[in-house]
Amino acid sequence: MSVELNELRDSVRQVVSGIGQYGAKQSLWDQGIELGWLMVSIPESLDGLDMGVAASSVVNIELGRGLCAAPLSSALLSIEALCDSNLSDKADHLMQALSGELLSLPFANSSIRLNDASLNGYAIALPGAGQATQALLWTEDQQLLFLASLDQPGLKCVERSTRDVTRTLFDVDLQNLSLKEQTIVAEGEQAQQLVSALLARRDISLAADSIGAASELLEMTIEHLNTRVQFRRPLAMFQALKHRCADLKVQIVASEAMLFDALARPFSETRAMAAKYLCCTSFAKVAEESLQLHGGIGMADEHDCHLFLKRALLNMHLGRGEAVYAQAVARGFLQEQ
Amino acid sequence: MTQIELEQFRRQVGSWLASNVPNAWRPALTNAEQGDFVELQKAWFTKLVEAGYATPHWPEGWPGGGRSLAEQKVIFEEVARADAPRLILYFVALYHAACTLFECGSEEQRQKYLPGILKGEIWCQGFSEPNAGSDLASLKTRAVRKGDKYIINGQKTWSTMAQYADHCLLLARTDSSGPPQAGLTYLLLDMKSPGVSVRPISQITGDDEFAEIFFDDVEVDVADRVGDEGAGWAVAQATLASERGLTLVELTQRMRYGLNILVGTLKSNGRLSDPVALADLGCLIPKVDAACALADQYLQKRINGTEQVGDASIVKLYYAQVLREFVALGVRVGGLDGQGDSGFMRGATQETGDWTLDYMNSYNWSIAGGSNEVQRNIIAERMLGMPREPKSWQLGE
Ligand SMILES: Cc1cc2nc3c(=O)[nH]c(=O)nc-3n(C[C@H](O)[C@H](O)[C@H](O)COP(=O)(O)OP(=O)(O)OC[C@H]3O[C@@H](n4cnc5c(N)ncnc54)[C@H](O)[C@@H]3O)c2cc1C
Repeated sequence: MSVELNELRDSVRQVVSGIGQYGAKQSLWDQGIELGWLMVSIPESLDGLDMGVAASSVVNIELGRGLCAAPLSSALLSIEALCDSNLSDKADHLMQALSGELLSLPFANSSIRLNDASLNGYAIALPGAGQATQALLWTEDQQLLFLASLDQPGLKCVERSTRDVTRTLFDVDLQNLSLKEQTIVAEGEQAQQLVSALLARRDISLAADSIGAASELLEMTIEHLNTRVQFRRPLAMFQALKHRCADLKVQIVASEAMLFDALARPFSETRAMAAKYLCCTSFAKVAEESLQLHGGIGMADEHDCHLFLKRALLNMHLGRGEAVYAQAVARGFLQEQ
Repeated sequence: MTQIELEQFRRQVGSWLASNVPNAWRPALTNAEQGDFVELQKAWFTKLVEAGYATPHWPEGWPGGGRSLAEQKVIFEEVARADAPRLILYFVALYHAACTLFECGSEEQRQKYLPGILKGEIWCQGFSEPNAGSDLASLKTRAVRKGDKYIINGQKTWSTMAQYADHCLLLARTDSSGPPQAGLTYLLLDMKSPGVSVRPISQITGDDEFAEIFFDDVEVDVADRVGDEGAGWAVAQATLASERGLTLVELTQRMRYGLNILVGTLKSNGRLSDPVALADLGCLIPKVDAACALADQYLQKRINGTEQVGDASIVKLYYAQVLREFVALGVRVGGLDGQGDSGFMRGATQETGDWTLDYMNSYNWSIAGGSNEVQRNIIAERMLGMPREPKSWQLGE
């Protein structure tokens, strides 16, 4: 990692760990806005910090470490999509987003259709949409990318129940929304390009979140094993447990290396999906093992272990859905041959 | 190099390989006689050295050396793409011996031995003994100082290609009084010296890839000692780090190319439309990419001088695990016909498409160079800061 990225990581980590766990949603959101985390990948031509997607990934990793409840990662994604668009009043939209007005977007599949200038369908798992003013949405055929105000007739936004309490997700339902009332971001081929880039970045964002959370959780688990004494010795002295920790460490380091390698290469949807698959699977494995290695305290609500486990399970299902990735990666690989 | 220069370099390497990779080397090396094998390896090695592509990981100033990570990757990617034979006969010379000399050897030793490597001298690694495997520090082969010589007595085993070797990287005991690690000394031994005898050992593949070495009053000049007397353990760590981490830049690229071979098996067995087989392939690909990324990251750390204890263990353990998964998938989709015995192939990479053979050979990486379990100990104790086990334990009566 470059010096700049290292510095960014340290500064985000300092704030996130200073604020503490997921509970401090509002103050993390405010600090994130104030410290310019949302600007890291905005190009210089739009007055951003121009550090690329690697930088937003570094931010996402640290947000994952803190199980951040503030919807900063969806804000980052919406902002990147706006930057790539040809929207005429792009600068105004960015200004709003950077001043703390939340733009949300679906973190799971959506199905929206355009018929006779009216929009129908649904979009799922929009982080923090309860506080958002607008949502970035697209049609299923990816021919239209648009901004919809969340406060308009025909649009319903309801909170979705999740075991994971570190994220707050909403579903939106569209009934006969008039196309005229929406802000069109892109149409046709351009919309398709923007949506496919956005889906890939969403994969990368979830991958980064998972790597951060997995790293934090493994550290916490090792700390527990080092201090918990049974059989007159720290549990960490038992090789059966050490070896499991070593395997988890290897999985995390390898997944993170793969993620940054994918970011250093020219954009590839297959590699983004591969990173999502690998990093989320690694996090799920670390979470599964960590609860076991904590013993009884791991099942107690008062301990943080379950927060990681629930986020890990949720992350597996966000993005394009758990069932899609393995086959899609294989198909992508075969096509590239 | 700029991106454009790098692409130019890629074309240059690619076209050189296209006209120089030995024709039909796979059939020639299947169940090959020793003489044919050595001849083919030597010829291919000589060509690579002359072109400057055998030693990209050597430091600047040495023929072929001083290449950046990006250039090294280009070479290994192209070598993999051209499906060139692997230089297994020179593996220890190019990596273990050379890297140890660069890191811990004297300038005289480098001048004495490295040109020989470039001329095709073969090296083997004499670390393991019948009673010292994972617990390498307990080794018993003795080196007794007599004037300006050491006199060696003892036995080494599992030494890859020792039957062809000109030189041996020998780890021997000069002192048994203190802690086991403190009494070891690292020597460079001439395999043609009187008193050396070698007995090849046949492997489960039918290939006699490794051998036992016996030493009976063999003399080694004190000048051929690397590092101080008693400092052999630290020198051996340099050898092992190069084996565990550095060699994997090439092997991970080979593995990525091997995905095409796996796809070939899927295709010829009609499994490409089988969703389960496809999902298995899709689960494997990200891991292969991760292994490549990890090896690259390790090499970059070596170039930057930021390597830390345990880094090489992570690369090796991950590679060994992914390799096993890879070849196990090959065995699964290879079907009953894949169980047929077509002998062994020397100098091929880990993924030949004879998946049952490849499966057997994958144990190279989970046992040799420190087993998976030993790497896990290193990672847990030296990286993650988990405590060591209580030390002493007495064998019962
Ligand atoms: C193909 C091949 C090539 C080789 N080439 C060379 C060579 O060129 N030069 C050379 O010097 N050596 C070579 N070796 C030897 C290799 O380094 C040893 O085999 C290896 O270090 C393991 O030692 P061992 O075979 O004695 O197994 P053991 O040490 O007896 O181990 C047996 C099993 O116990 C496990 N084990 C041992 N100790 C521990 C522990 N503390 N905690 C948990 N589990 C443990 C091991 O992981 C293994 O699964 C080669 C080996 C192979 C297979």
